[in-house]
Amino acid sequence: MPEIILDDLRKEFDGVVAADGLSLTIGDGEYVCILGPTGAGKTTCMRMVCGLTKPDSGRVLMDGRDVTDDSVDSRNATMLSQTYALFPHLNVYDNVMFAPRIKEWPEDSSKQIVRSMLHMVHLEQKAEWKPGELSGGQQQRIALARALASGSKVLLLDEPLRALDARLRINLRKELRSMAKEMGLTCIHVTHDQDEALEMADKIAVIRKGRIIQFGTPREVFEDPATPFVANFVGRSNVIVGRVVESTPEGTIVETQSGMRFPARPSDLAAGDEAVLTVKVGFTKITRMQEGQPSAVCVGTIERILYEGVTVTVEIAVEGVGLLSAKLPNRKYEEYSPGDSVGVYWMPDKASVFPMPPEGIEDEMRLD
Amino acid sequence: MDGAPVSFLKRVDELSGSSKVRRSWFAFACAVFIIVIVVPSIFVVTKLFTDWGLVDSVINNDGIRDTVLSAVANSFSIALVVTVIDIVVGLPMAWIMVRKDFKGKKWLDTLLDMPLAFPTAVLGISVVMFWGAPEGVELPGLGIVVSPYVMMIFLHILFTYPYMVRSLSAILEQIEPNFETAAMTLGASKWTAFRTITLPLFRAGLATGFILCFARSLSETGGTYIALTMMGVESTFFTGPSFISWLKSDTSVYSADEMMGAQILISVIMIVLALLLLVVVRKAIAGFHIPLKKVWPDLGRKLSRGPLPKAKDVLTIAFLLVVVLLPAFYIFMYLTQPIPDIDYGVLLGSIATSFLVAGVAVAVDIVIGVPMAMYIARHRDGKLGQTLDGLVNVPLIIPTTALGFSLALFWGGFGLSESFALLLVILGHISFTYPLVVRNLIGAIEEVDPAYEEVAMTLGAKPFQAFRKVLFPIVKSAVIAGGILAFTRSLGETGATTAISNTVNTVPIYITKLVQSGDYTEAAMCSIVLIAICFVIMLVLRLVTSRRSGRDA
Ligand SMILES: Nc1ncnc2c1ncn2[C@@H]1O[C@H](COP(=O)(O)OP(=O)(O)OP(=O)(O)O)[C@@H](O)[C@H]1O
Ligand SMILES: [Mg+2]
Repeated sequence: MPEIILDDLRKEFDGVVAADGLSLTIGDGEYVCILGPTGAGKTTCMRMVCGLTKPDSGRVLMDGRDVTDDSVDSRNATMLSQTYALFPHLNVYDNVMFAPRIKEWPEDSSKQIVRSMLHMVHLEQKAEWKPGELSGGQQQRIALARALASGSKVLLLDEPLRALDARLRINLRKELRSMAKEMGLTCIHVTHDQDEALEMADKIAVIRKGRIIQFGTPREVFEDPATPFVANFVGRSNVIVGRVVESTPEGTIVETQSGMRFPARPSDLAAGDEAVLTVKVGFTKITRMQEGQPSAVCVGTIERILYEGVTVTVEIAVEGVGLLSAKLPNRKYEEYSPGDSVGVYWMPDKASVFPMPPEGIEDEMRLD
Repeated sequence: MDGAPVSFLKRVDELSGSSKVRRSWFAFACAVFIIVIVVPSIFVVTKLFTDWGLVDSVINNDGIRDTVLSAVANSFSIALVVTVIDIVVGLPMAWIMVRKDFKGKKWLDTLLDMPLAFPTAVLGISVVMFWGAPEGVELPGLGIVVSPYVMMIFLHILFTYPYMVRSLSAILEQIEPNFETAAMTLGASKWTAFRTITLPLFRAGLATGFILCFARSLSETGGTYIALTMMGVESTFFTGPSFISWLKSDTSVYSADEMMGAQILISVIMIVLALLLLVVVRKAIAGFHIPLKKVWPDLGRKLSRGPLPKAKDVLTIAFLLVVVLLPAFYIFMYLTQPIPDIDYGVLLGSIATSFLVAGVAVAVDIVIGVPMAMYIARHRDGKLGQTLDGLVNVPLIIPTTALGFSLALFWGGFGLSESFALLLVILGHISFTYPLVVRNLIGAIEEVDPAYEEVAMTLGAKPFQAFRKVLFPIVKSAVIAGGILAFTRSLGETGATTAISNTVNTVPIYITKLVQSGDYTEAAMCSIVLIAICFVIMLVLRLVTSRRSGRDA
């Protein structure tokens, strides 16, 4: 059964490092999402798995076997391209039939497989159509059926849902995942979209500059990010820079230059260390400043309120810190208006604290 | 039934899985290209050093030298005038083909390419018959007396004009239709987009058209020589290629050494100038600057309003009819004449030879051209890709007579001479048709998303399977188009064939011989038979290929 190990892969394209010591272990039947900013090396990583790109060094193992030098066709790893790449000269049926014919499976069982795949993606009645006559969503499903009919146990998806409209995208997330699970496939799914990753993945690998910077369950990645970058990239975070003034098993306190103090969960940092505190905007709360509500960590003025449907985001200017954001349920929309003075607070356990990155905070938080 | 080919394909599929095999195959295609196509085409230049004595004696002989120089000068100035006329009348024609919709456009579209399918030898007869009224021709012509120089311009426009219109319409198709308004109303950013995207595109198309037309005119031998013969001036008025033909046809005028020296000199001058031109045109057109932002909206407005556009369209169509189509088709007038006695044995024999040469050349072009085209299309950024891309144009720009002469010298050096004449002729035809096939393919493959082949391979296809089941069906029509172009080009070629051998009798050679002996009616009938056969074959080819693709799907 397909377990995939990427071992210290390196790949350079005339000076651009696309994979820089990339290592990852993907268990059999796991659905892994690779999440990262543009140019991080997501596509390169996937192309190395299926063999379309040869790494400069490092190994790719499947089921414990080194396949680094194996040809693309022998790896049984099928790619679902971002453009679908349905063969324009073949109709839907022949597209799905492509792999069974190449592999010379018996005609009868091939036919049956193709029929059942088309059935699974609800497009049996379009078998005779040419790809150009199908909508984007239909093409996507045919491409999926074609990949599934190939008998491959590894499915590589490069932003498979990018070209679809929002509603279809959300519906297909569930379908895609459940089909993959039903067929026992090991999936690697590349995406820009953090919601997609959080919802679909068994595990998320966050990649940046050709390196995996965190690999864990959606919850781990979301709630316990490994770096300030991950904290902000997977679900936006408020970022506060300062110095640790107190570090105990109960928690860490970070003090900004302006002297304000913010609480966070316990950490290895020692008092005096430069530190970065992050807290997800969704865990940031606000409250009316009233007598007898001491829990606020700081006070600020509402600058803007953004209506987002189910949620609203409130931006609060806090002197000496800058803008902080809080994501609230939309019933709070009426409660606040710009200019209001509010207290900002969060559960100390929801805030992470990191040592100051060596390249500085600006560089760390850059999204490209 | 077809067990053998299937298992052969299977073996190739298997082999293609090895990157070593793939690399060797590409290296082989490169080697063939360099050794069989490029080097022999320009080999004659080395003769300048090894046989300087021959050349020197020609240079010191005022009579021959002046003839050679005036022949070369005629060739280049005719080519230049013709190309400029093509641009001036081709641009409005391209505009009509791309932007206008009218009844009969399809017909016009087909008619436009017709002169390309005629062997130029046939066009030579037809044009002289139409404009002049040469002695010995029973049919009335317009009877206009023009100098051979002007007649050559009329003739060369026929087979260069379609190239220009095609190159220009290809670009116009890509330029935004409502550009005139866009340029007038747009801000700087769109203008920048135009300047950086559209304009280079336009220049590239213009450069392509220019090079194609110029090279074609420079090379043309058969039609030119026939037309000059019919006008009775073949021994007084020369172009570079016609001079070589004339030398070959009448060996009594000069000594063997003088002939050799003259041929070397003329070939080297034409090759070097043509290659220089290729470089200069590319550079010049890339750097050439018209203040389009001002000119274009103005021009667009003028061209699209008032009586001017009507007049322009009428003139353009009239030019096409009177200067291109009528003279080309005038040869069919011979159908009104009593049918002469044709030696069908010789005619059919020469047709068979022509088809053999063209067929083998095109087949080889495709087999060794495909890996080359794939490599160039997918490695445009690489050094090797760019170098090969430039080299592919070399046989296209070299005058075919010079190319043929050079090739004969090259292989002659290996002891392959007269007894291998047919083989040498085929090699020559491979050289000048190869770029046509490869250029077409490069364009087509560049349009194809590499993801198709990649996905096919991840679905389990070996590289060669991915090629023949996915890429090839997608670019098939371009392969066929390139193949037809190369085939007709080979069929119509005179210069290279004569320069290589006196014994290989292809149809244009046969027709030329008939004209030389004054048998115009026979020559015309043979031409008509050839044209008819060409059309039937093309028709069949179209039918078969479209049926095939229908069944595949
Ligand atoms: N074939 C190639 N030639 C040259 N550079 C390449 C090539 N493929 C990738 N790169 C470079 O490697 C880096 C990583 O590219 P990759 O396509 O893997 O990024 P990505 O994470 O998939 O980005 P995106 O989200 O934009 O798709 C980029 O800087 C890219 O420019
Ligand atoms: Mg990508």
